[in-house]
Amino acid sequence: MATSLQFQITSTARFSSFKTAPSNSTSNSRSITIPSIGRLTSSCCINYHRQPLTAKASLSVELPTTSAKDIDGDSSKILLEVKDLTAVIAETKQQILKGVNLVMREGEVHAVMGKNGSGKSTFSKVLVGHPDYEVTGGTVIFKGENLLDMSPEERSLAGLFMSFQSPVEIPGVSNIDFLHMAYNARQQKLGRPELDPLQIYQIISPKLELVKMDSSFLNRNVNEGFSGGERKRNEILQLAVLGAEVAILDEIDSGLDVDALQDVAQAVNGLLTAQNSVLMVTHYQRLLDYIKPKYVHIMEDGRIIKTGDVSIAKLLDKEGYKAIA
Amino acid sequence: MATSSTTFSHFLPHSISLSLSKPKLHFKTIQPIRATISSNLSDPLVLQIAETFEDSLSLSSSTTTPSLQKLRDTSSQSILSLSWPTVKDEPFRFTDTSFIKTCEIKPVSSIPIPSSSIPSELNDTQFANLVIVDGHVVSSYKISEFPKGVFVGSVNDIDSEVIKKRVFEFVSDFQDGDLFWSLNGIGAPDFTVVYVPSDCKVEMPLHFTFFSSESGDIGSKVLPVSNPRVLVLVEKGGEIEIIEEYFGADENQCYWVNSAMEVLIGEGGKVTHSYIQRQGPNSAHTKWTFVRQEAASTYKVVEISTGGTLSRHNLHVQQVGPDTVTEFSTFHLCVNDQTQDLHSRLVLDHPGGTSQQLHKCIVAHSSGKVVFDGNVKVNRYAQKTDAGQLTRSLLLEPRASVNLKPNLQIIADDVKCSHGAAISDLEADQLFYFRARGIDSKTARKALVLSFGAEVMNQLPHKSLRLKIEDHVKNLLTPVL
Ligand SMILES: Nc1ncnc2c1ncn2[C@@H]1O[C@H](COP(=O)(O)OP(=O)(O)OP(=O)(O)O)[C@@H](O)[C@H]1O
Ligand SMILES: [Mg+2]
Repeated sequence: MATSLQFQITSTARFSSFKTAPSNSTSNSRSITIPSIGRLTSSCCINYHRQPLTAKASLSVELPTTSAKDIDGDSSKILLEVKDLTAVIAETKQQILKGVNLVMREGEVHAVMGKNGSGKSTFSKVLVGHPDYEVTGGTVIFKGENLLDMSPEERSLAGLFMSFQSPVEIPGVSNIDFLHMAYNARQQKLGRPELDPLQIYQIISPKLELVKMDSSFLNRNVNEGFSGGERKRNEILQLAVLGAEVAILDEIDSGLDVDALQDVAQAVNGLLTAQNSVLMVTHYQRLLDYIKPKYVHIMEDGRIIKTGDVSIAKLLDKEGYKAIA
Repeated sequence: MATSSTTFSHFLPHSISLSLSKPKLHFKTIQPIRATISSNLSDPLVLQIAETFEDSLSLSSSTTTPSLQKLRDTSSQSILSLSWPTVKDEPFRFTDTSFIKTCEIKPVSSIPIPSSSIPSELNDTQFANLVIVDGHVVSSYKISEFPKGVFVGSVNDIDSEVIKKRVFEFVSDFQDGDLFWSLNGIGAPDFTVVYVPSDCKVEMPLHFTFFSSESGDIGSKVLPVSNPRVLVLVEKGGEIEIIEEYFGADENQCYWVNSAMEVLIGEGGKVTHSYIQRQGPNSAHTKWTFVRQEAASTYKVVEISTGGTLSRHNLHVQQVGPDTVTEFSTFHLCVNDQTQDLHSRLVLDHPGGTSQQLHKCIVAHSSGKVVFDGNVKVNRYAQKTDAGQLTRSLLLEPRASVNLKPNLQIIADDVKCSHGAAISDLEADQLFYFRARGIDSKTARKALVLSFGAEVMNQLPHKSLRLKIEDHVKNLLTPVL
């Protein structure tokens, strides 16, 4: 007969950081009192220092930027201007962005490429104000305003959109409710009346067609149980419904099959106008065949080390990063 | 989410097991309580309550069926060794019952109220419905549409000798109850029987709505108590779905509902149980659910508990054959100065069982409290058991508290188990996702809190019920967000 083992398993690990009841406790219960979750509502904190001018001067020699004069003397309106942006991980203070420079004008498509871990997603998230990161230097001007002074929701309402590389699931909140809330936040900002559920459905419905999504996705919870490709489509649906002047698409092509890639690319192209612009983060030239960028930037170790046209991407595709270094 | 697969490093040798061992009682001669009042073991308060219960029932002259008599006799016997629980008793360590104790406990009238005086919301269901007021069935709806052989009604109204015999066999069969279980057995004026014969699959859900007709004004210290009781007996291969819903009075009314349900599921049978506790904020609600599962049977319960100043649910499932499926999903909400307590216990003695337990709670009041003791005991012969347990709590006020004791006890050695517990903040990534789409953090937070219980409420088997309960929860939470 097998020896029987007796185990009493109780969850303890998670509790260790909480206050344990003063007790003559002989059992494994824990009495837990924790502070309220109010801290989550405080806006993220951004440290802002201006870099000394000398540093900037020396940087511009080595690190090309896409400032209009440098490349083709385009004089259309600047939407986003990033200068010497540095950022650290808030918790560990580890530096990830080490001086990023980028200028985007109306009507332009940009692509950012670079090895895994080079900082592309961090750059994207810093731009939309993700609280995991702290800006330590540099400036970001969006439509003439200091972006770094704005809360994440203000940035969104001002017209900056980022589609996440890995969008989170939100159980218990349906896609339609989520879009409804987001749309009404915009209406409110514009001083327009809020829409009721039927009105919002009428706005969403044609956009569903644009991204070729079934309307049944509206009743499902946000991203819950969505496949990789479905999540990406859902991000583009949000972009289509909410609109944006600058859309940052972080690896919108990863996990998509060929047909889905075409659908998504077509949808993005459909949203492009002479007044807005798109920044695509990608690993593959393939996406750039569908959405044609004016500039391709190569990111390495938290900097943009090279900027050029789509030929860089082609070179990269053929010969890898060693061809660029 | 805080699911962690079990590592045995959590081993705590000094844990106290929850079960209180009680001597098995054998009944030869049954004595009325009054005659044994001098017993040393007895708690005078308990005996006094039991006596008032007996007295109130003796006023009603209706004849007592053998099953009801058996219930009263076994309960009277067991109460002799029980005392009023204090925080020194492990099962009540975090649950203060003094609210009941300090009131003048007064049994409700044993005469059923007329059905015309039932609040209309109690009849608001699309399902077959039994309205039980103060423990008496006072009205029913669509019961006649149940398949032939199904019985639903008072134990006094059973015609079939077969059903009478089966009910007598099982009534009050459970030996592991506590004081409240026994008090219910003494005070129940009647009990309701649901009988599903072999291989009968009842399609229409049966909705019980419970209500108390009497209450004391707050401050009067008078606490009318009722003791409703239901026995559900599903024979081999039978299936039924039960919705058990408790309604309450307004915030100025005090009352106590001490309810008990026994569920006996035959081989291959299935019971789906939705238990909704939405009593008034100044009530006490003590509740026992005892379930006995034979081989290959299924028991699934979804509990949504929001009411009462003191609410205690003992949920005890005993497996008596292999290959059972057991699922507990519970959601507790405290928006007032209230305690929500679930003590669940699942004992697996046979191989091949599957069990899943999910417990979630929100405490949104600074003196609100949730107590959860979830014991799953996998005994030696319960090989190939697959047991999972997860509990997540959300505390919205600085001094709100939860006492959690998720507890998987495994004695068998070929067992798959996982469990986890977390006191969560709202997920930061989820909150950011809202903000990145322009939704301010206050609105986002509200949406996330409201959706916290969705995982449990989604388990409710009917959309109409689900929507109603979601609304109810939303109405309670909205003012505090
Ligand atoms: N919140 C964080 N905590 C810890 N490390 C982080 C965090 N965010 C980014 N990093 C680290 O910063 C570096 C850059 O990460 P990032 O996600 O920006 O890379 P990426 O260029 O987007 O890579 P990929 O192509 O794989 O998506 C990585 O080394 C990553 O591990
Ligand atoms: Mg990335």
